[in-house]
Amino acid sequence: MFRLAVLLLFLSKIGLSQTTVRFELIHDSLVSVPHRISQTDSLFKLRFYISQIKLIGNKKQPFRPEQEYFLIDFHHDSTTSRLIRFDSLDPKSIRKIEFTLGVDTKTSAGGIGEGVLDPVNGMYWTWQSGYINFKMEGFSDKSPARKNKFQLHLGGFKKPYVSVQTVALPIKQFTADQSVYFDLKKFMNGVNLQKQHTIMSPSKEAVVLTKLAKSCFYVK
Amino acid sequence: MGTLLLFSFFVSRRASIILPDYISQPVYSIPFDPNNNDTVQLGRMLFYDNLLSANNEVSCASCHNSYNAFAHTDHDLSHGIYDSIGNRNAPALFNLAWQTSFMWDGAIHHIEAQALAPLHDSRELGSSIEALISKLQSSGFYQTEFFKVYGDSLINSKRVLQSLSAFELSLVSLQSKYDRVNQGKEVFTEQEKQGYLLFQNHCNRCHTEPLFSNFEYLDNGLPIDSILLDYGRFIVTNVEKDKFKFKVPSLRNLSYTFPYMHDGRFDKLRQVLEHYGMIESSQGKRHVDVKSISLTFNEQSDLIAFLLTLNDEAFVFNKEQAFPERLKTELIKD
Repeated sequence: MFRLAVLLLFLSKIGLSQTTVRFELIHDSLVSVPHRISQTDSLFKLRFYISQIKLIGNKKQPFRPEQEYFLIDFHHDSTTSRLIRFDSLDPKSIRKIEFTLGVDTKTSAGGIGEGVLDPVNGMYWTWQSGYINFKMEGFSDKSPARKNKFQLHLGGFKKPYVSVQTVALPIKQFTADQSVYFDLKKFMNGVNLQKQHTIMSPSKEAVVLTKLAKSCFYVK
Repeated sequence: MGTLLLFSFFVSRRASIILPDYISQPVYSIPFDPNNNDTVQLGRMLFYDNLLSANNEVSCASCHNSYNAFAHTDHDLSHGIYDSIGNRNAPALFNLAWQTSFMWDGAIHHIEAQALAPLHDSRELGSSIEALISKLQSSGFYQTEFFKVYGDSLINSKRVLQSLSAFELSLVSLQSKYDRVNQGKEVFTEQEKQGYLLFQNHCNRCHTEPLFSNFEYLDNGLPIDSILLDYGRFIVTNVEKDKFKFKVPSLRNLSYTFPYMHDGRFDKLRQVLEHYGMIESSQGKRHVDVKSISLTFNEQSDLIAFLLTLNDEAFVFNKEQAFPERLKTELIKD
């Protein structure tokens, strides 16, 4: 009888197996960076911070991963950066994924971080302080900048230009290996590279573009 | 006699920092015993080490000299690596623990992030945090130093910047004649007393006692330099009303920190007072935050006499925050 109980307990632990949320870049099909968008446009950098990610189910307490901050990098070498692991939860109970696009304001207002928040990752401004929440770089004929480059370094955590966004994605059937997609086509259609080609400080444009980025996340 | 000598030895060591009761609580915690604080001492070595620049020739101390209250005396604009001239006058470094933002325009919101700015500026240290970390990692000396402070020899941005800021936060200047008068240990001369009254009437609103700044960003009416075209705080906030605004600097240690103003345009205090005597408050769209302060020549002399009581010699000549001997030995060894 005791053995059976232990076995049942063991089995129920297996039922609550490890779950992962995987960020994927989609442009008709799954792609990674560098990526040729069209004859005239290409992308060679796309990285952003994710913080305060949680899976919300029918329980009061949402599920959170051990790590607090993630630097999602769509470079083809950085697949592990896009995986977020959650321990022991029942995938079937999850109804919503919620996360902050960018480093949450409280952390930004503090000092220098370590790990993915270390300024050596190139996601911290030096001429003025604060994290770059979302960084996208590429080439486009539409950009009048030098070498037709476009550089969108979107950040800012102080009023009036707060570029931190909350993304909430309701989900019908959550799986143990759940993907969250970033729709590159939608983003490229929404940005006006003739005007919005070089953004490197907290500004109105940065806020507008992080709102656009927020709208590009979806789940199937 | 022997006891007196021994006593004066301990006084000159100035083992710990004591905040007088008229000083408000600082924003950052101050390392009160800097001489026995390993983090401060590591930061002090980094502060004076030329290794911070791309070509190993300049350090933080090149523009922030301890003998000048950590300002760059006699330089209107500071020069960094390869004799490059910057846009602004290097500000004096002291009492930073009471400030909530840094630089003339407040671009930096946290003291730990501050050093990244000069480190990466092509006209200052011309380097990067990545380059600095790899230099430190390949130095046996620094590996040992980091181990001493952190218990392992990991060298990352956080540790480098934390130790630099610990040293900077230990730079507390509160031992001027003004402070001794405030504590009842000394008295002002008649002239200083007159000057103090003038100060309270005309200057205290922005250069607020006892730190002698409200640390706000304000327009003091200086005409813009047509070559530098420096709009100050506006560059950071992008908000029109912030044009021409710069941080109100502390008036402590003025004898050591000349030339004055964000671009070091005035060499003498009297020139500064003359500027304040002929401010036009309303200049088209521009709203100047100071009203014209007209003082007679004698009143100016009185005011200056008071301002000189804000010099803190004990701070300026404190050997414990000057170039560290240990670094000197290390440099000779190389």
